[in-house]
Amino acid sequence: MNDTTSTAVSPVPASAAPVRDEGLGEITRRTFWEANERHALGIGFIVFVLLLWEVIPHILTLSRGMDLFFTTPTQVAMTLYNMFASGEIWPAFKFSAVAFSVGLGLSIVAALPLGVIIGRSHTMNAMLDPFITAFNATPRLVFLPIILVWFGIGMWSVVVVVFIGAVFPLLINTYAGVRNADRLLINVVRSFGASEWQINKLVILPNSMPFIIAGLRLAIGRAILGIVVAEFFGGSSEGIGVMMNDAAGKFQVDIVFAGLVIFMALSLVMVGGVKVLEARLSRWRPENVKSF
Amino acid sequence: MVAYIEAKNVNLIFTPPNRMPVTALKDFNISVGEGEFVSIVGPSGCGKSTFLNVLLGLIPPHSGEMAINGKRVSGPGQDRAMVFQEFGLLPWRTVLNNVELGLELKGVATSERRPVSQKFIEMVGLAGFEGHYPHELSGGMKQRVGLARALATDPDVLLMDEPFAALDAQTRDIMQAELLRIWQEAKKTVLFVTHQIEEAVYLSDRVIVMTKRPGRAKKIIDIPLPRPRDYEMRVTQEFNDLKLQLWNELKDELTVHGNG
Ligand SMILES: Nc1ncnc2c1ncn2[C@@H]1O[C@H](COP(=O)(O)OP(=O)(O)OP(=O)(O)O)[C@@H](O)[C@H]1O
Ligand SMILES: [Mg+2]
Repeated sequence: MNDTTSTAVSPVPASAAPVRDEGLGEITRRTFWEANERHALGIGFIVFVLLLWEVIPHILTLSRGMDLFFTTPTQVAMTLYNMFASGEIWPAFKFSAVAFSVGLGLSIVAALPLGVIIGRSHTMNAMLDPFITAFNATPRLVFLPIILVWFGIGMWSVVVVVFIGAVFPLLINTYAGVRNADRLLINVVRSFGASEWQINKLVILPNSMPFIIAGLRLAIGRAILGIVVAEFFGGSSEGIGVMMNDAAGKFQVDIVFAGLVIFMALSLVMVGGVKVLEARLSRWRPENVKSF
Repeated sequence: MVAYIEAKNVNLIFTPPNRMPVTALKDFNISVGEGEFVSIVGPSGCGKSTFLNVLLGLIPPHSGEMAINGKRVSGPGQDRAMVFQEFGLLPWRTVLNNVELGLELKGVATSERRPVSQKFIEMVGLAGFEGHYPHELSGGMKQRVGLARALATDPDVLLMDEPFAALDAQTRDIMQAELLRIWQEAKKTVLFVTHQIEEAVYLSDRVIVMTKRPGRAKKIIDIPLPRPRDYEMRVTQEFNDLKLQLWNELKDELTVHGNG
């Protein structure tokens, strides 16, 4: 935010904003270490764990046969690289990625409008809230057999599992956010002649954005869980989850870990994406400006 | 005088869940002529904002008639605009986009609404703050955004709910002068709620004194001061007599109490 300093309406010059004087005779921003301490510590610890994991098998000699169950970060990295380079992983990767995107996408498309409707109508809310709560409280795995019966083994079953995992947190958060909407602001836009649709667009959705983002974060976690669960438990015969399961059966530990890395990377990318989205959508928020 | 805005026996009872019902307006009657500037004064909680909201079409009355220009008020309309007591700015919109709200909802194209909003932003003294968000503004600045937003839609009827309450004395004087100028130029009908007796006398053709809750129009005081009015007028004997008269009407209603 480059206009943060202009909040000073007083005649105090903008440069007098609260930045620290480090005794250097000039006003400086935080030092490099202060600004990056958290990241440095976080990344540093990960590196430390990986290094430890790498060297332990070299120091300790495992009894014969045991090394079948273990692997090292470099081995996992090599396997991962080879699988992508040779292209053998692509079909599985594509299958899981498509199932994930379609399932999550459908849940967003369904949850947002439905959430607004349930949030704004007392009748709908009274009718559907118990149903949604009950559904949401039930472990999704319970539905897998019936989903397999209805949709058969393959893509659609996985999509459905992802969908029912992701849709509820998003739906519940959306309508919680919608119900939280500021009556005054609704009245203001209504007084200027807004239709119901415009009220939703101008007040309800922006107002519930923090809730929706929180819901999206949960939904992404549930969607990834959905992929893994569906593929582990026979929802399909393709996908990264299936690949991991097969590899485990053949004691190919590095392939199992490669799959794990892919899922981790997927979570990180998605969570990062949500963070970027959140930052873009909440530029107007006071907290954002205060914490330069 | 032909009634332009007419309220006949308007009753309004709030029935909040799990709470005692509150009669905010009881047999409320007023009649305002076209192009008139009418102020409403009355004790806090007597129903002034409620009345404006009914007139704006946001709250339907339980009984009685409310009409503007012979047409029954049945909902919001673009012939009216309100300056809200609590500002009601959209926090995710910049000053410019907040001021444009009404025009946007009227369907005015972006290229046409820009200069209009800009004009009113300048008028309320917020030039240079177009890109600011409401939380970056002081209370008085927010209030002026609300003022610019209402004026930008060029309504026939301007409803103003303590529009200058958050302003410092000097800005208030400037805004009062601007308001009078716009009102005279554009021939608007203004209903102006205030707690300031001096402001009511200075601006109005007539001042309505409301009783404590449940609110009724208790007394209507004519302000026969000549126009255009200027700042010096405030020190004249006539002005002060009117202030005193208004104060005498109002003070009976101003007991600190908890009337249920
Ligand atoms: N939405 C509501 N639900 C319940 N009661 C309400 C509501 N709005 C207003 N009231 C009640 O109606 C009465 C009149 O309120 P109103 O806001 O019209 O007062 P006011 O004259 O504008 O007061 P002030 O000068 O303090 O702004 C008050 O007693 C208030 O408690
Ligand atoms: Mg009020």
